[in-house]
Amino acid sequence: MLKVVEKIRAVGSRPGSLVVLVLGLILGVAFFGSAGSFMVYANSEKFCATSCHEMSFLAVEHKDTIHDKNRTGVRATCNDCHVPHGYIPNYLAKLGLFNDYWGHFVTHSIDTKEKFEAKRYELAKKVWIYMKDTDSRECRHCHTTAKMDPEKQTDKAKVRHEKLRTEGLTCIDCHFGIAHAEPSGPGPKEIFPATAAKI
Amino acid sequence: MPKRVFAKVRRLVTGNKASTVLLAGFAAAVVGLSLFGTSMIYTGTEQFCANNCHEMANNNTREFRDTIHDKNRTGVRATCADCHVPHAPVPLYIAKMGALNDLWSHHVTHSVDTPEKFDAQRPMMATRVWTYMKGNDSRECRFCHDESKMDPEKQTEMAKARHTKAKKEKLTCVDCHYGIAHKVPEGPGPQEIEVDKSFIPRSAIF
Repeated sequence: MLKVVEKIRAVGSRPGSLVVLVLGLILGVAFFGSAGSFMVYANSEKFCATSCHEMSFLAVEHKDTIHDKNRTGVRATCNDCHVPHGYIPNYLAKLGLFNDYWGHFVTHSIDTKEKFEAKRYELAKKVWIYMKDTDSRECRHCHTTAKMDPEKQTDKAKVRHEKLRTEGLTCIDCHFGIAHAEPSGPGPKEIFPATAAKI
Repeated sequence: MPKRVFAKVRRLVTGNKASTVLLAGFAAAVVGLSLFGTSMIYTGTEQFCANNCHEMANNNTREFRDTIHDKNRTGVRATCADCHVPHAPVPLYIAKMGALNDLWSHHVTHSVDTPEKFDAQRPMMATRVWTYMKGNDSRECRFCHDESKMDPEKQTEMAKARHTKAKKEKLTCVDCHYGIAHKVPEGPGPQEIEVDKSFIPRSAIF
């Protein structure tokens, strides 16, 4: 490594050389390009749903739910609901990947279906609290409330959506267990973010 | 100016400040790419596309309002870029170059600057978009609408029958789903026009 640096120095410090500047530019493009591509790749269904067997439990549950298969074929995959869409929140969420590595390689916390089921409530609760805290930000990235047409909704949905506005509820309070199996225990409406452990 | 910058860089390198120059190059690349990426995202937003020039704001944007891709049961929308700009990086860059044409028309030729002129050009412009979409098998439609994930059981009897027929006849989305977000112009529709390959922009088939 030191030799390489020496070599670059030798070439670069020749009077009038612009090699170093060009090298810096190339390194910058390569670094930024691969970081950006990784962000995109790490959000793909291929990566999220099939890279580790822990997630494949969840991928199987998601199959044929309304966010996978529906009238129009417009879908929401893993990251659409579970990864923030803004730059900085996305980067922070990606750092959380290290926790997944830790769980996968070191603690093996959910490496069997039994262990997974035993932790399901805890895992679900984490996601519910997260979504309650952000006012279901990831839901709203696709579902624009202002652009919902109540005339196209069922009467039940219309009444309930009206009611939730007056009660200060958020999407996840009612729409939970819609893409994965529902755990037993209190649902999002019974959990108060202020008293529960924050993530 | 560039001459003086280069001279400065040369002096730094010669003066054993090579690592500073390397770092500066790295930083310049990161900043440059960030700006480039951000501009790609910004120029694909509804705010930019729909409201920045009166050609778009007075015609296409108004027509789009309250169509199924704007307002619907679930509030999941498709805005300008979703249907009219490619999603893959390289076709996207090529398409953005095409926006220079829009600047030319807006500032120099004023080709669609009144609703009358716009309506006169409408059949030509619509034909252009239809040709583009036929040329790439409605790629932009399919970016959101995943055919293999459509549930026929949730579709009407008419839709089910027609989708089956369309597959047999090798039709593409826009052959039937046209004039769904903007007014339908007079003249032949997508099924009647021949795809002239030379008419398809490179960004459509890359």
